[in-house]
Amino acid sequence: MAVNVQSEQKYWDALKEVMDPEFPISVVDMGLIYDIKEQADTIQVTMTFTAVGCACTEWIKGDIEKRLLEERNVHAVDIHVVWDPPWTVDRMTEEGRQKMRTWGVSSR
Amino acid sequence: MEANLLKEKVNTGFIVEGSEDMNEEYLKALKQTLLIVGDTELLSVPPLLTVYDQAPTLNHKITALAIMQDEIGHAHIAYRLLKELGEDVDELLYNREPNRWKNPYAFDFELSNWVELGVFNAYFDRAGYTLLGDAFEHTSYGPWKRALVKVDKEELFHLRNGEIIMRTAMKDPELAEQVQKASDWMFLMALEFFGVADDLKSRSAQLDYKLKGKTNDELRQKWLSTAVPFCESIGVSVPAHYDENTKRYVIDVPFPCKFDVANKKWLYDEPDTWENVIKRFKDRGPRNAEFVQRLQKGAKEMENLRKEVS
Repeated sequence: MAVNVQSEQKYWDALKEVMDPEFPISVVDMGLIYDIKEQADTIQVTMTFTAVGCACTEWIKGDIEKRLLEERNVHAVDIHVVWDPPWTVDRMTEEGRQKMRTWGVSSR
Repeated sequence: MEANLLKEKVNTGFIVEGSEDMNEEYLKALKQTLLIVGDTELLSVPPLLTVYDQAPTLNHKITALAIMQDEIGHAHIAYRLLKELGEDVDELLYNREPNRWKNPYAFDFELSNWVELGVFNAYFDRAGYTLLGDAFEHTSYGPWKRALVKVDKEELFHLRNGEIIMRTAMKDPELAEQVQKASDWMFLMALEFFGVADDLKSRSAQLDYKLKGKTNDELRQKWLSTAVPFCESIGVSVPAHYDENTKRYVIDVPFPCKFDVANKKWLYDEPDTWENVIKRFKDRGPRNAEFVQRLQKGAKEMENLRKEVS
């Protein structure tokens, strides 16, 4: 299992390069990614969005899929969108919060 | 304040906060800059609205609306700063003749299809992002610099929206053709945003007073440095390439050159002068009057109603 966690870390790192469309903060630092699992040549991503009415859901999913497909031996990406637990600002990383602060946007 | 002293101060990091820190020349250059910025932001909306109802999905429509709302917000920032500097903004907005507006010539055209909205975002918002990003980094005017934090971030959102629309469209042969067609007229239009070539105008009050940091050609290079690789990556051909020897982007067609307004087509076999380009800008494009009148319509109707009842 430890081996798996380590290999999955590279996908978390990859998603650090995928930016939220509205705020140039990664989807990882926004706290949108709940889980990443590698199953054979498919990556299973469990994620959420900041709001059910988010107009950028397809955009974000497309960017995530595109980036993960750039990883070696990844041939498919399955994205499962969940609404429970719901996203709140508490899910943002410290790095994400710091960036919000530079734009004068509260993350509390 | 004496001109040279103020120039020296702003170039060593002094931030201008109020009119007591300026001289007449600074104030004039600042007002001119903010008027161009405000007009550009506001007049970007009417062309976007010409194809807004062609959005392929509800999500695209919401995103386009969010972008237009952002642009109006950015315009509001520029006009509010102008108001604080003593300008009569209502007069500027509602009683100015269409041909006196300072928005880019490229915004005086209606768009032909949804794909053009994408290219508009990817090219023109990138130009805005380049110009305003430079102002954000370098401007000596404190109130503007602080307001640009929000603008910078939002323009990035717009240009990325354009990239997504272009990238997606390139996967469909019919839409890919629309992307190429849109790019063919919009690419040089975007390059014109940055104004006259440096060898014709190397210094300006804008630069001397550090309202902006980079010269026109430097900003044009910056735009090219992200637009060209992006277009190459999705298979859109553009009339510019990176030259390894000079480490600069080179425009492969005569620039500036003449533009066939009716067919939205550059006439590469007819090179032009910047003097003529400025003349074309001042004559304004085909939809200038209609777009400005659209913005002024409500205010004028309300004014007439007030006259009627008084």
